[in-house]
Amino acid sequence: MKVSELVEKTGWVRKTGGDNEITGVYCGDLLSWVMGRGEPGQVWITVQIHRNIVAVASLREFSCIVIADGAEIPAEILEKAEEENIPVLAADKPVFDLAKQMVALGF
Amino acid sequence: MFYDLHMHSCLSPCADDEMTPNNICNMALIKGLELIAVTDHNSVRQQPAIDKVAKAVGIRVLYGCELESSEAVHCLGLFARLEDNQKLQPWIDSQMPGIPNKPDYYGKQQIMNEFDQEIGIEDQLLIVSLNASLDEVIDEIHRCGGKAVLAHVLDRKNSITHELGFIPEDLKYDGIEVKSEEQRQLVLKLHPWIKDEETVWFIDSDAHRLTDISEPDHWLRDSDFRKLWG
Repeated sequence: MKVSELVEKTGWVRKTGGDNEITGVYCGDLLSWVMGRGEPGQVWITVQIHRNIVAVASLREFSCIVIADGAEIPAEILEKAEEENIPVLAADKPVFDLAKQMVALGF
Repeated sequence: MFYDLHMHSCLSPCADDEMTPNNICNMALIKGLELIAVTDHNSVRQQPAIDKVAKAVGIRVLYGCELESSEAVHCLGLFARLEDNQKLQPWIDSQMPGIPNKPDYYGKQQIMNEFDQEIGIEDQLLIVSLNASLDEVIDEIHRCGGKAVLAHVLDRKNSITHELGFIPEDLKYDGIEVKSEEQRQLVLKLHPWIKDEETVWFIDSDAHRLTDISEPDHWLRDSDFRKLWG
């Protein structure tokens, strides 16, 4: 599945461009932890909205970042993500609910 | 000068009750320190008493606090002037989540006078994340006339590298606190963009008990002090 199909099926709001292949899911907000454990292609669901998330997503080659729970995404994150070609999606529901949606999609 | 710019008074719930203004200042003096700062979690309400006692016993102080950003990163705010430091309190109050303290679990949060008498109790729990981001915390410290030192940057709890992975190149901090010379080297190795010669480094105790206050082991150059606090 690609990010564009994920957006279509979940209704999560796309904030930046890019259309990578999805291999799995990772949930976490502690960036040292995510940097150490994330795998390429994963959808990363988080409420962390510090600009370092773009660098972490790029480092781990995540397919996209999903900002959960309606957390307000600073403009600088979107600018950097656009530069790095990392899709950022926004969703109102909590991390657990988004993870359940991913399970329902077969991940 | 020998310094210790990170320690907690009995206003911080996690600090011993014996961390009173007089005990702290006198212990620092006995240990041979020349410059100290008391940095309570998310509050500057102990600083007026620290100011009076430090002047009475004759030890130099910076007026401090340890703020916790919304990302759970700890950052010291250190001020040369008490009145500038006190400007932070209304802003801190506006950014607190308003969680009541449970003294039996977290510990007491006592505000003292210069005679080590309790003159108030802080009812809101102080060991919480403010609603402000780390950038906003640093901006506010600067707006009030203080300097921002990233606290215990390699700790496995409440440090910038733990919560945010690394120190961003464009962060407007004024100093970096580590626990040892080895940690300083590691921070430099992990962050090629941090220039050693342009960085003011601190090694503090983060004491929560009197005995943990630093020995006279760490020296701050006058030029570094003047660079930050005039």
